Amino acid sequence: MLRQRCGMTRNDPIKHFFIWPALLIVLVISIFPLIYSLTTSFMSLRLVPPIPPRFVGFGNYVELLQNPRFWHVAWTTTIISFISVALQYVIGFSVALALNRNVPGEGLFRVSFLLPMLVAPVAVALIARQILNPTMGPLNELMTFFGFPNLPFLTQTRWAIGAIISVEVWQWTPFVMLMLLAGLQTLPDDVYEAAALENASSWQQFWGITFPMMLPISVAVVFIRLIESYKIMDTVFVMTGGGPGISTETLTLFAYQEGFKKFNLGYTSALSFLFLIVITVIGLVYLAILKPYLEKHK
Amino acid sequence: MSVRDLKGNGRWWALAGCLLWLAFTFFPLYWVAITSFKSPLGVVGGPTYLPFIDFEPTLTAWRELLSGQRGQFYNTFMASTIVGLSASVIATAVGSMAAYALVRFTFEVRLLTGVIFVVVAFGGYLLGRHIAGYGQAISLIYAFVAALALAIGSSRIRLPGPILGNNDIVFWFVSQRMFPPIVAAFALFLMYTEMGKLGFKLVDTYIGLTFAYVAFSLPIVIWLMRDFFAALPIEVEEAAMVDNVPSWRIFFGIVVPMSKPGLIATFMITLAFVWNEFLFALFLTNSRWQTLPILVAGQNSQRGDEWWSISAAALVAIIPMVIMAGILSRMMRSGLLLGAIK
Repeated sequence: MLRQRCGMTRNDPIKHFFIWPALLIVLVISIFPLIYSLTTSFMSLRLVPPIPPRFVGFGNYVELLQNPRFWHVAWTTTIISFISVALQYVIGFSVALALNRNVPGEGLFRVSFLLPMLVAPVAVALIARQILNPTMGPLNELMTFFGFPNLPFLTQTRWAIGAIISVEVWQWTPFVMLMLLAGLQTLPDDVYEAAALENASSWQQFWGITFPMMLPISVAVVFIRLIESYKIMDTVFVMTGGGPGISTETLTLFAYQEGFKKFNLGYTSALSFLFLIVITVIGLVYLAILKPYLEKHK
Repeated sequence: MSVRDLKGNGRWWALAGCLLWLAFTFFPLYWVAITSFKSPLGVVGGPTYLPFIDFEPTLTAWRELLSGQRGQFYNTFMASTIVGLSASVIATAVGSMAAYALVRFTFEVRLLTGVIFVVVAFGGYLLGRHIAGYGQAISLIYAFVAALALAIGSSRIRLPGPILGNNDIVFWFVSQRMFPPIVAAFALFLMYTEMGKLGFKLVDTYIGLTFAYVAFSLPIVIWLMRDFFAALPIEVEEAAMVDNVPSWRIFFGIVVPMSKPGLIATFMITLAFVWNEFLFALFLTNSRWQTLPILVAGQNSQRGDEWWSISAAALVAIIPMVIMAGILSRMMRSGLLLGAIK
């Protein structure tokens, strides 16, 4: 992901002065959550009603793994992340390809395509609620105009998940596009000139040259988006609140409900660690699957 | 004609695709903007699209918002601005220094030193909390100081085992972003509460929120700035070194001015992240230092379907970022952020 760079490196005691502020801040903020949540995850600890902490070993973990709600929530989060990242990648790559080919008005497109990811997810979710509103929103009016029934966008499971995915796509495709566009601009022109001489079609050029050369960047971008998507919370919190029922609840929202509403600390901590394990496993599997392809194209 | 230009029909298909995506991107923003100028009746009566033709725009929502009828908007806006600006300035400054050090100096940390740190921190905490019977905050502070002292002390002697270099340190910083923020937010809330019992109020304070944001922006800052510094020509710095200019003056006098665009872009990306952040603000603030996303999210449950005022509230959070998007895209056209992903 990060290219190894060689160059002059110095050895000067002042380097400690440069790095210690950052190191200390991150250490303080990262080690405490780690220690605290790992130790509480092995205890039965509730703030409301207050009961004295008791060591329960893997009790919280076992309880969670036996809770169908955990599996449901993990599955929902996985669906939302995978589908939205796949869509972001496909759309983002297409738009980046177009912008890289000097489409007319490219400058305007660039400014506007940057916007969505700078808008607060909470605000985006509120706007989505307005647009998807069954009686006052424009989307259902459009659907009625074309003869479809009034659709329950936020109150029926499938539609609600679809709505959340669309909002994720709206907000984060620009990020994918931006990264891929930057990558496309570093590709050398001469390969394409050679391919054009051999009369390779654009389709052949894409699969033969562009896609393989963009693979390392693609892998990194999809990885970042996947990890970030698993943390989704504010969009769902505002759009559906996890509803109807718990059908759109995500891992972070579940942890929030257990921790901040029920103050069931041991359980929440165990949940967070399972969450961390899920993310790590998905990341490792993803990188392991793609490794042969990456090496093939080196 | 360069190979990059599309020929024939392809050009128009690409343009059509871009326009379609542009419409999809802009419609929600257009919608929220016009809704904020609608009267309550105009909202409830069903969707209308064009001001002056479909509906008569009014300033009701904005007047209510600015006069403070809809909650403490002014205070919240100021809190968001102050916390956002100071957290991004501190994070950019501290993070750039670390990034520079990681690019230009050699660091070697034994893996065992890290292990010692974690083990002593964990052990010390458990010891203090469950055997010595100290409070959570006290045992944590003791454990942290002891772990840090032992780790630094142990790095002086030659320990066996693998050595971690600069890339591993960068990886450690960046990997902090993998940690689910809900874990950190909740634990921080409890730590801040414990510190409050000791007399340092951190929940709902400027210091508490800013510190949390600085810490969580640092990985991004280090990641972006590291690539930026690495792309700078080294000759200037080498020339300065030959003249025996001290390292801190090379950094502040030569490197910082040279990397102004990178610093500004990093600062703005950090600012956007802090400005829009929801989870930490939800846990760590409750009234005085509440930020805009919390207030905006709260509009939803408090006001039901009063879309005109919700839209105005959402716009207050959006508009500063729209301005920044304009500035950022200008900087990007000069190829500024290219280095960040290589």
